[in-house]
Formats: sequence, C-alpha cells, structure tokens
Amino acid sequence: MIPEELAEMALFERETQQQYQHQINVCVASGCLSLQSDQIRESLEKEVRRRGEERWCQVRGVGCMGLCTAGPLVSVGPFTDPAAALYQEVQVSDSLDIIDSLGEGAVSRLVCPTDGPFFQRQVRVVLENSGQIDPERIEDYIAADGYEGLLKVLTEMNPSDVIEQMTRSGLRGRGGGGYPTSLKWTTVAKAVGPRKFVICNADEGDPGAFMDRSVLESDPHRVLEGMAIAAYAVGAGEGYIYVRAEYPLAIKRLRQAIHQAERLGLLGNRIFGTTFSFHVEVRLGAGAFVCGEETALIASIEGKRGTPRPRPPYPAEYGLWGYPTLINNVETFASVAPIIRNGGDWYARIGTEKSAGTKVFALAGRVTNTGIIEVPMGITLRDIIYEMGGGIPDGHAFKAVQTGGPSGGCIPEDYLDMAVDYDSLVQVGSIMGSGGMIIMDDTSSMVDVARFFIEFCMSESCGKCVPCRVGTVHIHDLLTRISEGMASMGDLSTLVELCEMVRNTSLCGLGQSAPNPVLSTLRFFRDEYLAHIRA
Amino acid sequence: MLREKYASEIDTLRSRFAHRRSAVLPMLYLAQDEYGSLGEEVVREVADVLDLPPTDIFEVVGFYTLFYDRPVGTWMIQVCDDAPCCYCGAEEVMAALKEQLGICENETTEDGMFTIQRVKCLAACGNAPAIQVNLAYLYDVTPEKIDGMLRDLRSRAERGETFRLSGRDADDYTLAPDGSLQRIERRLGKTPEPQPSAA
Ligand SMILES: Cc1cc2nc3c(=O)[nH]c(=O)nc-3n(C[C@H](O)[C@H](O)[C@H](O)COP(=O)(O)O)c2cc1C
Ligand code: SF4
Ligand code: FES
Ligand code: FES
Repeated sequence: MIPEELAEMALFERETQQQYQHQINVCVASGCLSLQSDQIRESLEKEVRRRGEERWCQVRGVGCMGLCTAGPLVSVGPFTDPAAALYQEVQVSDSLDIIDSLGEGAVSRLVCPTDGPFFQRQVRVVLENSGQIDPERIEDYIAADGYEGLLKVLTEMNPSDVIEQMTRSGLRGRGGGGYPTSLKWTTVAKAVGPRKFVICNADEGDPGAFMDRSVLESDPHRVLEGMAIAAYAVGAGEGYIYVRAEYPLAIKRLRQAIHQAERLGLLGNRIFGTTFSFHVEVRLGAGAFVCGEETALIASIEGKRGTPRPRPPYPAEYGLWGYPTLINNVETFASVAPIIRNGGDWYARIGTEKSAGTKVFALAGRVTNTGIIEVPMGITLRDIIYEMGGGIPDGHAFKAVQTGGPSGGCIPEDYLDMAVDYDSLVQVGSIMGSGGMIIMDDTSSMVDVARFFIEFCMSESCGKCVPCRVGTVHIHDLLTRISEGMASMGDLSTLVELCEMVRNTSLCGLGQSAPNPVLSTLRFFRDEYLAHIRA
Repeated sequence: MLREKYASEIDTLRSRFAHRRSAVLPMLYLAQDEYGSLGEEVVREVADVLDLPPTDIFEVVGFYTLFYDRPVGTWMIQVCDDAPCCYCGAEEVMAALKEQLGICENETTEDGMFTIQRVKCLAACGNAPAIQVNLAYLYDVTPEKIDGMLRDLRSRAERGETFRLSGRDADDYTLAPDGSLQRIERRLGKTPEPQPSAA
C-alpha cells in the first residue's frame, strides 16, 4: 500500500462504523467466553436480524474489557446514545431488553458503574484497543490509528529520530529487568552485522502473570507494529515472535495478523513503498519456562536445548545465529506505537520520573476483581488492591502481595502505601517483574507460599549449573521440613546460607533470583517460620 | 513416512531456515502429531529428514516438557498446580482426576486414553483452576465436573474427534454443568479473512 491508502482505509472503516447508530460490543475473551458470552452475542445478532436492523445496529465480539469477574460484559455505544452503558453479568435472556433499550435508555438492572476506580484509575496505552476492536480484523486496528506510527517513522523520521523519541519516553523493558529500552535499541543500532534480528519475547510463564497472553489475544497488530518500528530503528530485516505453545489462540491470532499485514503491504517487502522490508515469523516454545531468558530463547529458536549462556556477549551484539539481535517483551513492543504517534514527551509525562508510563498488571489470588489492569507507574499498592481490585473477598484480611513471580518477593501490609515503580519495589526486596500480582489473605501460610515458588524454580531449572539445580531442591526440602514442623533453628540458618549461595553462584536470572521469595518471606514473616519451628 | 506424507510442509520448513537446526522444534511437533509421541525411531526419522545427527534431536526432545519420549494417552491432561490455581482448588481437581482414572501423575491409563501431568502457570489464573487437554484450555474446572469431562473426552476419542498434541487445532472450552466440553465460539468480525496456512 502507498502512504495515502492507510489514511483512506482508516477513514473508510471509521465511516462504516459510524453508519451504525448503535454498537453493541460483547466481550468474547477467555474470561467472558467461559460464561457463554458467545451465546449472548449470537442471540443479540439474531434479534437484530429478526428486526431487520442490521444496517443500523452492529453487534461485535471484542477482546477483554478488564473486569472479568463481572462478566459476561457487554457495552453499548456510541457514548452519545442515551442507552450507552456497560452491562455486567449479562445473560442470554437479557438480549431482548438490551435491544429494546437502544436509543431509549440503559437497562438499569444490568448497568456496571464505570465511574468507579476500576475504570477511572486506569490509563490505557498498551490496552487502548483491548475490548474496543476486533483482534481478528486489521481494518479495526487501522481505524484506531493502527500502523500510523509505522508510517510516520518510515516517511518522516530517521532511525536515530526514532531512538531519540524512545529515549525521551523513558520506557523501560517490561519483561522484568526494567532496562531502558532506548539504550538497548541504541546498542543494536550501533552493532555491525550483515543481518540483524528483532525478537519479541512472548514466553510469559511467571505464576500469576497473564498480561502478555491478553495483549496478544486482544490486539496482536500492536505488537507487530512495535516490532516493525524497532526493526527500522535498529536496522533489522527479520523478526521472530517466540510464543508459548500453550497459547493456541494467541498463536492463531498472531499468524492471522501477520498474514493480513503482509497482504496489505504493512509487513514484508518494501513497506509503504519505501526501501524498508521486515519479515516476521511466529516460533513456538515447548513448555520450558527458562526459555524466557533471552539467551535460552535464542538457543531455542536455533533448534537447541533452551539453556542460558553466560553474558556478555549480550544478544544486542551476539544474538540469533551470532547476529546482533534486539529482544524485547510483548508489552514493551506494545507501548512503542503510541509513543511514536504521540511523542516520547507525552509518554514521559505519565508515571514517575524514573519509571515512566503505564504498566499492565494481572491480579490473581485472593482478590475480588481478578483480571488485567493498566495503571500509571507510581500508583500505590493499596489503590491497586483495594480500589481497583475491590479488596479481599469473603471477609478475610489482606496479608501480602507477591510481585515479580518466582524472582520477586512478598510485600506485607505495612508497605501498601508505597508507590509502585521499579526502584521502590526493589527496596522492599521484590521486583516489578512482568506484572503478575498474587494477593494473599490471612488464610495463606507464607512458608507454603515460599515453597510454592521454590518448587516452581526447582521444576523449571534447566539443570545447567549445580547451585540452581541442586540448591533449589535443598531449599525445597528445608521448607517442607519447616512447614511440617520438623525443623530446628539450625535449619533456618542453613536455609539462609543456601539461599545466598544459590543467589550468588547461579548462572542465569532464574537461579540468581530463585531465593528471593524465601528471603522476602523470611524478612517480613519471620514469625511464621519461627512458629513452625517452635511448634 | 513423514517425508512422503508432509512433503510440502517439510520443504517449507527446510527452506525457511538458513540453519537446518532451526527446523527441529517445528518438525518435532509435526512428528509428534503424526505418531503420538517421540520414541527412538521417530527421532531417528526426524534426524534423517533434516540431515542432522540423531543426538542433536534426542537432546532437544529430552529438554522440553511438551515433547513426549514415551507413548502418552490420546488425551494429555495438564493440570496447573501453581499458587493462584491452588487457591481455587487445583489440588482437589488433581485428586479427582487421579481417583477416577486410577493413575498418578505422569502415568497413562491402561486403555491408552488419558495421561495426567502437573504443569506450571498456564496464564489463565483469572479463570482458575485451569487445565489443558492437548493444549486446549478448559477454564474454571471443578472436581464435580471431572467425571462428565472424562466421559466427554472418551466419547470424542471414540468418534475420532481428538485434538492434535501440538495444539494446532486447540480451542477454548468451558465445562457445562454436566462436565461436557462446550466449545467457545470465536467467530469474530463481519468479513471473514482467508486463513493463513498453519505451519
Ligand atoms: C528465567 C527467566 C525467565 C524470563 N522470562 C521472560 C518472559 O517470559 N518474558 C519476557 O519478556 N522476559 C523474560 N525474561 C527476561 C528476558 O531475559 C529479557 O530480559 C527480556 O525479554 C527483555 O525484554 P525487555 O527489555 O523488553 O524487558 C526472563 C528472564 C529470566 C532470567
Ligand atoms: S541458574 Fe538454573 S536455570 Fe539458569 S542456567 Fe543455571 S541451572 Fe539453568
Ligand atoms: S474476559 Fe471479558 S472482561 Fe475480561
Ligand atoms: S496459576 Fe494456574 S493458570 Fe496461572
């Protein structure tokens, strides 16, 4: 396609959508689907057809709207319609009432209040299209300014301008480490090689983390556009998305999205008629968590065992098949297009000084609203858990929140008013991680929690180095003894020594951070350990 | 046999990668779908197709949990036992499975129908407990529905309606009150797009 066609297509699609006086969006992402939202959609469609109103009233299936616990969710628009509303816990039998109400006024018994903190506190950048567009139609994405960022960089900007905007944005890697994205891009851009690669890390596997899966299922084109912009900035011509094989829907939608983009000339050779070409391919993992580590991921794409190797050299200089390779996380890439469209300064104004922008979190465990939220960095844990998460269900009390998965830690009540950003989480012995938050209530034993995470590391250790392979087993044994009341005080100090040894001598991040959940529960919930020992 | 049956797919795989080894994982998925597991003979055949030393393939099969070097059941049931799922009853689901099938983790029923495994987070923690059968998601599973679920899977197998182990035709399912699988329809959009050829 030539540059002008993108705008034409967006305009055409928007006009087509505006010709509908009424729009009914039914969430058909996994959460609502399991509550039969597809049947609601079918019955709405049938009713619209029965009344012969297809030309004015559109019924669409859309991705996750976020408040999965109140599902199935249905939204009615446009917002100028007197019946515009978000409906919760909709049933098939409500279809008639919903359609009767169009143009009149919302069905009050179904209305889900959107002035509450769950919606009001969110700032949607990565998730701006989630629940708004049909992830299986590229036209929908284009109508929502999709591929405009790519057009802008290819026609108006040098690669160095692109990196300049990324620097201004202050974006840091969302895969866990928080390394400044623009620094990584600069290194790859400067690296010399006959070929360069861009890899999207979609091997999400932290317990309690389901943000990347949601982004890929709800808005796959956003990730592709981010990758293409990055490829232009660093001078790469080929890209891979490494996805867990356990995500069949995400894989299907990504493949479909690549296919659609190639047909329109938004990926592939000579994009927008420029000299820039970029080819993307999906690669599947095979159930090894450690393949999320960047050097292991590269080994896996190369067709080998996915074991990490020592760094340096970093993939930026010596990556896939030895060529300079940029690896970023799904959410990192998903943030790129809006940054380019609105400018780096715009993004930097969201969030805090050192942790710019927004972060997507997945709430799981003992919290009323489990699901996905996107908030500005710097929001407090209390706001996330109580205001947005709706607090702890069944009259229980909050005990701790686990962030950062198996590399992170447990944060107790005393720190709930702490602002969430990369640095403050490290100060309390945890990490930002990929964005999973597991909330625990007063019924959870913290020794068991620590054991859960060490068991995770034990079973996912690739076995390449002894401290991690053997150390995690020993830590697990000790924790089991403690929780069964068989341990002595001496075991407790052995536990700490073991943790420190594993942390200091393991080769990759998995082993180095495996002791974190143990150390952090020991720091904040020592009493519980002691109680098991004395008992 | 693979070579004849999947000639064009193999050609595409081989031509797509400058480095032949890169085709190993996709090729293993293909072989596993065809044969049900990756025993020694299958691995040798894959090695032969890709002109690689068999040891290269053996070590890959041994490393990844989704490659099975021993025969597994027609249905590979994987139960997430990570913390968020356990908070919602994953262990009870596991116990019900074990009891009704009379097998333990990593075992296969005598009739070759089911294998059960524990796996780590499947990123469906919002619909915990979550399990996968041949990589198709089943959400919000409860012990009460296990019986009906197993019956449904068995009758699907009898009708020849299984899913491939690679998840290539996996879908999302929810369990009806009687435990039978209800496929979650995902027709989206008004203009159906031509499907890309899966590989
Ligand atoms: C054991 C281990 C697992 C990891 N898993 C993931 C993952 O699933 N997704 C991810 O994006 N990064 C993961 N990482 C971090 C990556 O190595 C890498 O830092 C990241 O993909 C870089 O992207 P970013 O700069 O955009 O964050 C993991 C690291 C380790 C040590
Ligand atoms: S630390 Fe653990 S996971 Fe990392 S390389 Fe060593 S054994 Fe493998
Ligand atoms: S799945 Fe419907 S709101 Fe999340
Ligand atoms: S913990 Fe089971 S799906 Fe995440």
